[in-house]
Amino acid sequence: MGLLSKKDTKLISDPLADNNPITIQVLGICSALAITAELEASIVMSVSVLFVLGVGNVVISLMRNIIPSKIRIIVQLVVVATLVIIVDLVLKAFAYELSKTLSVFVGLIITNCIIMGRFEAFALGNGPWRSFLDGIGNAAGYGVILIIVGFFRELLGSGTLLGMKVLGDPIEKSGLYAIGYENNGFMLLSPMALIVVGIIIWVQRNKNKALIED
Amino acid sequence: MEHIELFFKSIFIDNMVFATFLGMCSYLAVSKKVSTAVGLGAAVIFVLAITVPLNWLLDQYILQPGALAWLGEEFVAYDLSFLSFIMFIATIATMVQLVEIVVEKFSPALYNSLGIFLPLIAVNCAILGGSLFMQSREIPTLGLALNYGVASGIGWFLAILAIAAIREKIRYSNVPPALRGLGITFIITGLMAIGFMSFGGMLTGGDDEGKTETTTEMVEEPVDNKALDTKEITEKELANNTKVEE
Amino acid sequence: MSNKTDSNVYTILFAIGMVILVGSLLAFAASSLEPAISENKRLEKQQNILYAMGVNDNEEGSAVFISTDKAPQAFAEYITKQVVIQNGQVTEDDEAYLIDVKKEKSSAKGDASKRRLPLFIGEKDGKTYYVAPIYGKGLWDAIWGYVSMDENMVIQGAYFDHKGETPGLGANIKQRYFMDDFIGEHLLDESGDFKGVTVAKGNADPLNNDKIDNEVDAIAGATITGDGVTAMIKSDLKLYVPYFKNLKNN
Repeated sequence: MGLLSKKDTKLISDPLADNNPITIQVLGICSALAITAELEASIVMSVSVLFVLGVGNVVISLMRNIIPSKIRIIVQLVVVATLVIIVDLVLKAFAYELSKTLSVFVGLIITNCIIMGRFEAFALGNGPWRSFLDGIGNAAGYGVILIIVGFFRELLGSGTLLGMKVLGDPIEKSGLYAIGYENNGFMLLSPMALIVVGIIIWVQRNKNKALIED
Repeated sequence: MEHIELFFKSIFIDNMVFATFLGMCSYLAVSKKVSTAVGLGAAVIFVLAITVPLNWLLDQYILQPGALAWLGEEFVAYDLSFLSFIMFIATIATMVQLVEIVVEKFSPALYNSLGIFLPLIAVNCAILGGSLFMQSREIPTLGLALNYGVASGIGWFLAILAIAAIREKIRYSNVPPALRGLGITFIITGLMAIGFMSFGGMLTGGDDEGKTETTTEMVEEPVDNKALDTKEITEKELANNTKVEE
Repeated sequence: MSNKTDSNVYTILFAIGMVILVGSLLAFAASSLEPAISENKRLEKQQNILYAMGVNDNEEGSAVFISTDKAPQAFAEYITKQVVIQNGQVTEDDEAYLIDVKKEKSSAKGDASKRRLPLFIGEKDGKTYYVAPIYGKGLWDAIWGYVSMDENMVIQGAYFDHKGETPGLGANIKQRYFMDDFIGEHLLDESGDFKGVTVAKGNADPLNNDKIDNEVDAIAGATITGDGVTAMIKSDLKLYVPYFKNLKNN
C-alpha cells in the first residue's frame, strides 16, 4: 500500500466534485462572492485557504482529545485566528508587498465557514493525516469553484484574464470589440456571482443525477 | 435623526445579505422552511445586538491606539489593535455558545432543526462583519452601536424570511430538476440582490459634503431604478402572501 | 469525549491556559516584528509620496514604486521641504510625513483648525510639487492616498490605496488607469473656488480629455468606493486652500 490508501484518495477527490464544499455542502459562499470579480484574487484566496485549512485541520485534529466540548467553538476560532494573524504579521514584516495583496483576505479567511465547518465535521473526529487530506481536498474543491467563477466573471465582465486583455482593447476597438462586442459590466457585480454559482450547480447536477434534491 | 438614518440604512441600503453578501452560508442552508428561518434570523438579531455593543466597548477602551488611557498615563502609548480580530471573535464565540446552551435548554425542537448551523453562527460572517464594520466605520457612541447591531440583524432577518417564503412557494413551480433546491436558491438570491440594489438610490453618502453631489448623480438612472423597484415589490408581495397563508 | 474533558474545572483551566498561550504568542509576534513592520510602513509612505510626484518605476499600464532601497535617498533628493499647517500656522517639520492622517482626523472630531496638516514640497525637473495626504472611507474599510498639485491646485499626480476594497472593483482605485485620470484635473473651478474632483458615472468623457470639468470617469461597479474617493478629495484637500491662496498672494 502506498502513501495514500483508497479511502484516503477519496478524502481528496470527493470534495472536488460530488461533495463539493460550495455547491453541495453550502460552505464558504461569502468569500466566493466577494472576491471572484478577478481571476487573480480567486487564485490567491484559494491558495490561502488551502494553507489555513490544511494546517488548521492538523492542529485541531492533534488537539481533539484535549479540547473541552463545551468551549470547542471558541478554541477552534482562536486556533484559526491566531494562525492567520501570525502569518499576517510575519508577511508584513518580511514580505510587505505580498502582505498588501493578502491583507484583504485575512478577515475573510477567519470567517470562512468552510474552515469551521471542516474542523467541526471532520478534524474533531479523525487523525492528523486524514484531517490534513480532508483539509487539502475541501480547500481544493472550494478553489476549483472559485477559479471557475473568477474566470467567467473576469472574462465576460472586463474582457481580461489575470489582467491581460484577451478579447482585445475596448477603448481602441480592437479584437472582438471591433465587431461590436461589449463587456458585460453586470458580471462584475456581486449578484452575478450568485447566478454563476447557480449555473455551475445546474450543470453539475445535470451530469450527476444522484445529487438532485427532492 | 442620526439613529433613524442609521437604522434604515442598515436594514435596507447596507443590507447584510444583499449589499455586502455576508452570512450567506447559513442564509442559503437554513432557508428551506419559514419557521427555521425565523428561528435563525431571531438568533442572528439577538447575537448581533449583544456582540456589536460589546465589541464597541472593547474597541473603545482596550483595543484602539491610546484606548488604555483610562488605566493611567503610562498606558497611553499601547496599541493593541492587532488583537481586534481575536478579541471580537472570542466575544462572538462566547455569546454564540451561550445562545446555543439557552436554545438547547428551552427549545429542543429548534435546536434539532438548526443542527450544525447554530455553532456556525459563530463564523457567520454577518456577525463578525457587523463588529468589523462597526470598527471601520468608527461608529461614535454605544447607543448607535446597539442600533447598528439590531438594525443589521433585522436586515438579515428580513432577507432570510423572504427567501424562505419564496422557497416554500417555489416547490409548486416546475423548476428544472437539476436546479431544484440549492441551484434555484442561488439564482433567486442573485435576482433579489439586484432588486435590493435599487435601495442604493436612497443612499445619501456617508459624508455630509458628499450629499449634494450624489443626489444629482443618482437622478441619471430613474428608469433603471423603477424597473427594479417593481420587481422588488412583487417579491415582497410574494413573501407577504406566503405569510398570510400560513 | 471522556468525562475528564467535560468537567468544569478542566474547561476553565484549559481556557486559561489557552488564553495565556495564545496571548503571549501573539504579543511576542507583534512586539518582535513591530520594528520591521513600521520600517516597511515608513518606506511605503516615502514611496507613495514620491509616486504621487511622478517619481516611480512605472511600466506600461501598471503602477510600480521606486524600489525600497532607493526610496530614502530619492525622498531626500526630491522632497525639499516638509511643512505642517495647523490653524493657519505653517511650521517646518522634517518628519511631517510620519503624521498619521487617520489619527489626526479622528482626534480633531470635525474641527479642522485642530488638525495638523502635513504638506510635502518637492522639486522635479525645475517644477515645484505640493503633495498632500488624504484619508477616507470606501465600501468596506479605509481608503487613502496622496495627491500632488502645482501652485494653482491643478493635480500633477495621484496615488490611492485601500485596506479592503473588492478585488476587481473598488480595489482598482490603485490601478494606473484610474490614478492617471486625475493628472491635469483642476481642483478649483473657473472663479477660483474649491470644487474638488468628482468620480462621476456617465460623465460622457471616458477618455478624460476634458480636464477642467472637475470630473474623472468612475470604475464600473465600484460606486461607493468612487464616492469615497470624491469625498476624501473634497474634505481633505479643501483644508489646504488657504495655504495655496497665501502662496499666490506673496
